[in-house]
Amino acid sequence: MSGFEPKIVGFLCNWCSYTGADLAGTSRIKYSSNLRVIRTMCSARIDPTFVLKALLEGADGVLICGCHPGDCHYVEGNYKAMRRYPLLKKLLDDFGIENERVQLEWVSASEGRRFAEVVDKLTEQIRELGPCRVRSGLALDMAER
Amino acid sequence: MENPKIGVYVCNCGTNISKLVDCDQVVQSSLDQPGVTCAKSYKYMCSNPGQELIIKDIQENGLERVVISACSPRMHEPTFRKALAKAGINPYFLEMANIREQCSWVHVDPRAATDKATDLTRGAIRRVVHHEPLEKRFVDMCPATLVIGGGVTGLTAAIELAESGNPVFLVERTGRLGGNIANVDLTAPYLDSARDLIRERITRVRDNPLITVLLEAKVTEVDGYVGNFTIGIAPDHGEPLKVEVGSVIVATGYKPFDATRAKAFGYGTNPNVITSFEFERMLRNGKIVTGQGKPPKYVTIVHCVGSRSEEFNQYCSRVCCMTALKYGQEVKSALPGAYVYDLYIDMHAFGKGCEDFYKSASAIRTIFLMFQKNTAPQLLPAGPKDDCEMFLRVDDKLCGEEIDIPTDLIILMVGMEARDDSAEVARLVNISRDRDGWFIESHPKLDPVATTTDGVYIAGCCQSPKDINESVAQARAASARILAKIAKGRIEVDAVFAEVHQEDCSGCRVCNELCPYSAIEFDFDLKRSHIISAKCKACGACVTACPSSAIKGRHFTDEQIFAQIEGVL
Repeated sequence: MSGFEPKIVGFLCNWCSYTGADLAGTSRIKYSSNLRVIRTMCSARIDPTFVLKALLEGADGVLICGCHPGDCHYVEGNYKAMRRYPLLKKLLDDFGIENERVQLEWVSASEGRRFAEVVDKLTEQIRELGPCRVRSGLALDMAER
Repeated sequence: MENPKIGVYVCNCGTNISKLVDCDQVVQSSLDQPGVTCAKSYKYMCSNPGQELIIKDIQENGLERVVISACSPRMHEPTFRKALAKAGINPYFLEMANIREQCSWVHVDPRAATDKATDLTRGAIRRVVHHEPLEKRFVDMCPATLVIGGGVTGLTAAIELAESGNPVFLVERTGRLGGNIANVDLTAPYLDSARDLIRERITRVRDNPLITVLLEAKVTEVDGYVGNFTIGIAPDHGEPLKVEVGSVIVATGYKPFDATRAKAFGYGTNPNVITSFEFERMLRNGKIVTGQGKPPKYVTIVHCVGSRSEEFNQYCSRVCCMTALKYGQEVKSALPGAYVYDLYIDMHAFGKGCEDFYKSASAIRTIFLMFQKNTAPQLLPAGPKDDCEMFLRVDDKLCGEEIDIPTDLIILMVGMEARDDSAEVARLVNISRDRDGWFIESHPKLDPVATTTDGVYIAGCCQSPKDINESVAQARAASARILAKIAKGRIEVDAVFAEVHQEDCSGCRVCNELCPYSAIEFDFDLKRSHIISAKCKACGACVTACPSSAIKGRHFTDEQIFAQIEGVL
């Protein structure tokens, strides 16, 4: 799968992870350019349908980032994200989508370096998995019908 | 609004963005997007001419939506929202694409960066179509302020606010005011008395009837939002109380590094090894003595104990170098025949008057030796014939030789650390801490005393190590921010919150328990939930959880986010 550049959509909470991603920038920490970030106020706002929508639209992977447990700007929103995540993974399995394509990570506002590492690691992981077939598979299904 | 006219502005940010991202190409591909009627790139969008460019286009070309691809929205979103308002359209008809912090500054390949910037801009274009006009909300500003911490920072903030005619509740954990400075003798570099400085502060606080001082007390609850906080305070003795304030200043300071952790020096077991704070106490008592009760002939000062080390804290504690020089002065003045050795890693004499102070330390013949970072001088016993209590072996970088220094008294310059309760305090007032436990400011350069929670400010050493003048400046900065809000009387708060579409609500009450702010009420007659907008902080947890999709998170609606997803891919 040489030359495959995955597209990854990232949903980042505003207070910790988005700020951490900004810090990676102000610190000029370099990481892979495959991530496209969408900001939400809290990881609790990240609806599983956002993740499915991204995969259907052609994303090869999805990153969900929130504040570390116990450190949510909205007291406990990240726990809600944490509870939804295994259910989402199960749903992906049921749909026949490799659940490793979706990853939940905690990144605080001071963890610019960690953010860069998370993005690099996920990019590598998705690169190994290859392109997500959901979109093309869907098109095929439609054509057969 | 069907097919609104969109303007796209791509900022070069000098060369910060344009040196990696082909801004003209981003402009070109934006023009291919439906609804985009104009797209331009410019040197600095945030500058006055940059903003004028946008305003002119809105007014002359009838733009209804604006996309700005530039720095992080955390930086300039308020700036551009104001520009939109100035041009006469709703400020929320703006969307920013972050192509600096999250693109040009973190990537190396110009093509990949340009592709990413194009995708992010396209996401913003698709999203902005669905933006809705939001109206400003105003809330009353309570003029009272809670100040947590009674050190020089908290005292100064209390004085500033109260002397402008506003009530202050000053809560101090211990039984006395003054904080760490109350334990210090003289201050560097001008050698004025810390006691005099702090006594003046305390007197002014005590004399002001607008300041309520609560000693041996703890803040237990912070509820509400900017302008309207309810604070629970629990004194160690007496009844807990509740007070209403509009703002909170956190000035909880630091704790000294625990020298027993730096085992190499034998602190705690060797009576002739003391910390800088213990030495301050000696100075204040007017008697410099060894563990044996004799005046020392050789005094050795060791810098950076717990600071600038791989083992303990990597940061510099900033005040210790000048304090060490001050000890040289104070030892020489009390014991003119004594020798003072100053063992440092690097001498940080950065503040006003500090370089002169360094020179004067040389003039009084303080002997400077430089040792390697992450090494510790080695303690050796003295023989019966030696005229000292012990030796310190130093690998001196200045002369390149190993030197055994005779020593009677070792002073360890202990650094500053975040207080043990900093996590608890952060949780209480809803602010963040960095990896070392210091509280995080809203912006390191442009917004140093505000935090991510509106109405909560940080000042002094709880943010990071500082000297007295910097702490005082921050206390005054935080007070000025609050006074500006009090002067307005009513303050604008974000127009972003969630609302329940009554006709879609099934009354299942799933959202009721989810809200961390108890902002959702259930109407038992109508059997529907509704949101009290003033209490809502717009996290969106209820929006996602609602099984009927009856809750709309303003400015973060499903349509907006779905459109952005389509756009970035």
